[in-house]
Amino acid sequence: MRALSIASTGMLAQQTNVEVIANNLANMNTTGFKQQRAEFQDLLYQNIQTPGAQTSDTGAVAPNGIQIGAGVKTAAIYRVTTQGDLKNTANPYDVAVQGPGYFRIQMADGTDAYSRAGNFSLDPQGQLVTQQGLVVQPGIAIPQNTISVSINAQGQVNATVAGNATPQTVGQLELTRFPNEAGLNAQGDNLFLETPASGSPQAGVPGTPGYGTIQQGFLETSNVNSVDEITALITAQRAYEMNSKVISAADQMLQNTARLGS
Amino acid sequence: MDNSLLISLSQQIAAYRSMDVIANNIANVSTPGFKRESAKFEEYVSKVRPAEGQSGAQAVSFVKDAGTTRDISQGNIQNTGAPLDMALNGKGFFTVATPQGERYTRDGHFSLDQDGRIVTSDGYAVQGEGGAITVTPTDGEIHVAADGTISSVVNGTLNQLGKLRLTDFADPRGLTKEGGNLYAAGQPGIPATATLVQGSLESSNVQPVLEISKMIEVMRAYEATATLSKSQADLNRDAIARLGAMPN
Repeated sequence: MRALSIASTGMLAQQTNVEVIANNLANMNTTGFKQQRAEFQDLLYQNIQTPGAQTSDTGAVAPNGIQIGAGVKTAAIYRVTTQGDLKNTANPYDVAVQGPGYFRIQMADGTDAYSRAGNFSLDPQGQLVTQQGLVVQPGIAIPQNTISVSINAQGQVNATVAGNATPQTVGQLELTRFPNEAGLNAQGDNLFLETPASGSPQAGVPGTPGYGTIQQGFLETSNVNSVDEITALITAQRAYEMNSKVISAADQMLQNTARLGS
Repeated sequence: MDNSLLISLSQQIAAYRSMDVIANNIANVSTPGFKRESAKFEEYVSKVRPAEGQSGAQAVSFVKDAGTTRDISQGNIQNTGAPLDMALNGKGFFTVATPQGERYTRDGHFSLDQDGRIVTSDGYAVQGEGGAITVTPTDGEIHVAADGTISSVVNGTLNQLGKLRLTDFADPRGLTKEGGNLYAAGQPGIPATATLVQGSLESSNVQPVLEISKMIEVMRAYEATATLSKSQADLNRDAIARLGAMPN
């Protein structure tokens, strides 16, 4: 009885779906989080009679074959990389990217990671770092006696130092793009790593064609839409229930068979 | 002699198969572009020896698989917001190049690969009028027109990248499902009339209520036949027991 195993693939798929939705809802307030979606595909088919098979010597063909499917599988869990809303925080080291591009962050082991979360702070050396203390690349150091810092849309960081009325440029933020940003490998902590699927990183100056602009004093909120997620959750739950109904129906049929011999 | 048991058996095999098809429909309730199927059966007439008191050959009907038919009606168009998700509205398929040759799909969830080509979730290149369509990182926002023209905005001007090749068939029900949301065709393609909706996916056209009620129907029919087989078997057992009883 194939129905049992087919329905179990359906239940597994819906379970994955609910897990993805739960993770989206849990990250509703995560800066720079991108909503994920599970995508499904039908499994292999068993051809009992191929469509177009001959049914007689005179060349009559069956208009429909007999193809029995084997259920469903999760094809991908992909990231919907649309822009999140910008939220005003008034913190000078909070920067949001409006448009495409990732900040490049140096991990503890010296490799590069990429992030959309621009909630930066300063470390004891005055360097711009993430909430985990990882240095934002290229390293930007804010002088000791700085009164105010301004970051323009092109990512130029200007600091006004005490005793000097004219601001001085202390660094330039850069953005990185990928041919396929959905192919990045999520590491947690809002960080992503390059993969063979993402293609190689291409650095650029904010505001140039193809790259987003920088907004100081703002954070990019997650692009999770709670109404969408709850609707998806209800649909997934119902689909799960229906698959379990198929299992109990198939089970009942098998019980009937087992009773025949008694 | 046991025609009633054999006829019951043919019905039970048919019920199992119907159940498999229904289970597959329900399992694929959230598969984009999935088209529901239903099992069709036909009568197989067989001549049998006449019973006592009857003359001439008698006909009995067995149940036999005739085929699975595909309901190719349009699925709902569901908004996803992803720029490379495209839903087909109307007749037609996306053309995909796989190592086994060209395949066709209604699942319009596409992404870019490491070279910037538009590919399916399995990494197969989606075919445009002139082969695969490539998006370079300097391209801005992607626009997909209703006729399948893909363009990107560069410095405020629309720059055409390619046009998707949509294929339709004279007999779309005759396509073979291959899994992975792909269909194989054994017939020549014709131009499609479908229009594209960007940022959406065509959901599966499985109607849960329909499938569940069909499932209950199949289950009850199976039970009824099982009861019939059981009484037939009981009858046989009783007959053997009585006829074979040793006279005192």
